[in-house]
Amino acid sequence: MAAVARSSERLALRLVTAADALGNRLYGQQFNPLYQSGTIVVALYLVLLVTGLWLILFYRVGAPWESVARLTTDPWLGNWVRGLHRYASDLAVVATAVHAFRMFAQGRSWGARAMAWMTGCLLLLLLFICGWTGYVMVWDTFGEYLAREGARMLDTLPFLSEPTSRAFTGEQPVPTVFFFLNLFAHIGIPLAMGVVFWLHVKRLARPHMLPPKALLWVVVGALTAAAIVWPLKMAPQADPFVLPVDVPSDLFFAFWIPLAQALSGGQALLVATGLGAAFVAVPWITARRGAAPPPSVVDEDICVGCVQCSIDCPYGAITMFERVSRRSDLVARVDPDLCVSCGICAGSCSPMGVGPPGRAGRDQVAAVRAFAAAPARRRGEIVVICCDHGAGRFAPDLASAGGVPYPVDCAGNLHTSVVEMLLRDGAGGVLILACPERNCWHREGPRWLRERVYAGREAELQPRVERARVRIVNVDAGERPLGIAALRAFAAEVASLGPPPADETPDGEPACEPAVLDSKPLVGSRP
Amino acid sequence: MTLRDRVAGTALGALLLAGMVWASKAPMTTNRSPDATLRLAWSARPERIEKCRQQSDEELAKLPAHMRQPVACEGTTAEYRLQVRHEGALVTERVVHGGGLRRDRRLYVFEEIRVPAGEATVDVRFDRVDASAPGQAAGEQAGATSAPRGEVPPHLSLVQRIRFSSREVVLVTYDSDRKELAAVQRPPRATR
Repeated sequence: MAAVARSSERLALRLVTAADALGNRLYGQQFNPLYQSGTIVVALYLVLLVTGLWLILFYRVGAPWESVARLTTDPWLGNWVRGLHRYASDLAVVATAVHAFRMFAQGRSWGARAMAWMTGCLLLLLLFICGWTGYVMVWDTFGEYLAREGARMLDTLPFLSEPTSRAFTGEQPVPTVFFFLNLFAHIGIPLAMGVVFWLHVKRLARPHMLPPKALLWVVVGALTAAAIVWPLKMAPQADPFVLPVDVPSDLFFAFWIPLAQALSGGQALLVATGLGAAFVAVPWITARRGAAPPPSVVDEDICVGCVQCSIDCPYGAITMFERVSRRSDLVARVDPDLCVSCGICAGSCSPMGVGPPGRAGRDQVAAVRAFAAAPARRRGEIVVICCDHGAGRFAPDLASAGGVPYPVDCAGNLHTSVVEMLLRDGAGGVLILACPERNCWHREGPRWLRERVYAGREAELQPRVERARVRIVNVDAGERPLGIAALRAFAAEVASLGPPPADETPDGEPACEPAVLDSKPLVGSRP
Repeated sequence: MTLRDRVAGTALGALLLAGMVWASKAPMTTNRSPDATLRLAWSARPERIEKCRQQSDEELAKLPAHMRQPVACEGTTAEYRLQVRHEGALVTERVVHGGGLRRDRRLYVFEEIRVPAGEATVDVRFDRVDASAPGQAAGEQAGATSAPRGEVPPHLSLVQRIRFSSREVVLVTYDSDRKELAAVQRPPRATR
């Protein structure tokens, strides 16, 4: 099972990489909608809330079809609002599916991320239920069809003493209470979704909830334009005494009906339950048992209590605790249940006192020394530090283009001392090919790296390092030509700088200044 | 990003949007067949069967004082056989029992049977299983009681010539006031 999951992940990753490269080319890294699939869902959720509040003003449970028909035929009441509501829900399904697929492909579905995966599954289910209740509200032929199919499946449950299908047989009019309950669910479920959204991002520090404003308005504008250009029309009113040939459906919410039609109610329910269980079980199926990278650890003898690692950690896994020590009043502690072993903390700690075993600052320094001491190294060559998840996947091509690839797990956990040491050991320049900021598998790696190199963020690249010999370029795994072009351009610029200067700086680690504690929530009581 | 990429990106976005709108409205064929449907749907209280017997003095003595009832009854509900014939051919036959895990709740009938369009004789029968006579279940011991109390009669039948239009649903239901089965066709609807 694990082998199948792993090969599925690899295949999915190839698809995602190709799609990302196309998205970057056409829309740029900042506005690539594939990178923003999760935030687009939240934006659409807000659009659905606003448009839903407007639509609810005109809805009548006593005359569902008639009230929606009135809204639809009156352009001033806002058929376009109804269209926007519908298309936003469709796009929300697509964006949710894309987001889930990306997380699966990138192997970000297990361990400490299992909670996010499962709440994501729950959000998708709630989105579907919300959509189904929305269509049933209209009580046209499609709404009736959805209700009948759903009831057919529900009726196989042994604890329902009365078949729900009987409500739609025509024996008597569908009771108003049915539409009231349906409306109640359609309003109540989105409120529950708000809570689940919160749970979904609860473990993240600084979660991105909305896409960039420009992209947000483009999405809303495009959906509004679609609602105006392709307005919704009313389907015929539900009639229990007629079997319509065609039902105007919405494939995003009714894609399962053709399959369900071919099965009995019980079989359809079994298939749906099985698929749902498979989705929920993904964290267990994809978990790297035994091969999972270990969580970060803190060397308390080195920790100076500067709080930077707890600030930089994208998952809120590091907390500062008070202690009695001559070294500092605070010490960082890692919660292994929250840590995903991204190693961002390794890059954030000047004295190199924290990080996953084997990838902490000191381990990186040892590795770079071994790298520099290799006999194949030549003075003046361009070292290309490339992220394993990004440019590292075309490292051989970078080597062919004249660079010396230096793969790292994530550019964000790169300690800036590594860059300095590479230059001191004779590299002509250091090109860091980091992943695009919105596609960092560890969320904030490229951002922190850029700030450490150019903006003096703690654990910064020392001022003595010649910045002209260091460059950061954001490149995705599928952007091979871009990475090679960046390497060639940088190599040409470095060549114009002349040979690298001789190393005259003393060997030593930069000191981290203990920060004045002004962030109370970071401090916990001593365990 | 070149101008060409921007144009291509906009075009791709518009294409995907149009595709999404199409999928959002795509008609789904739900009934290819021109057949009509005979829908049987009703709910009724099944006949309750109580088996009662006189308890002996020894049995009563074993019970707590407040539970000493001279007559002990065990109740269940009757089962019914549903048979549907279309032009004399048996198209559905099954046994219907009361709802709930103990089968002591109301019974529900819900069947949908495809029938060809056109006029046909429909024969629906709903008979109590093993009922030798109304209110008399087989195997009941002497002294058993069975009260109608508004339950469905032991024998119901509907034999009717019905014209089925193509893709029309004709409902056969139970009229609890008249205690008989009735066929209901689409009522005339007000013009919208």
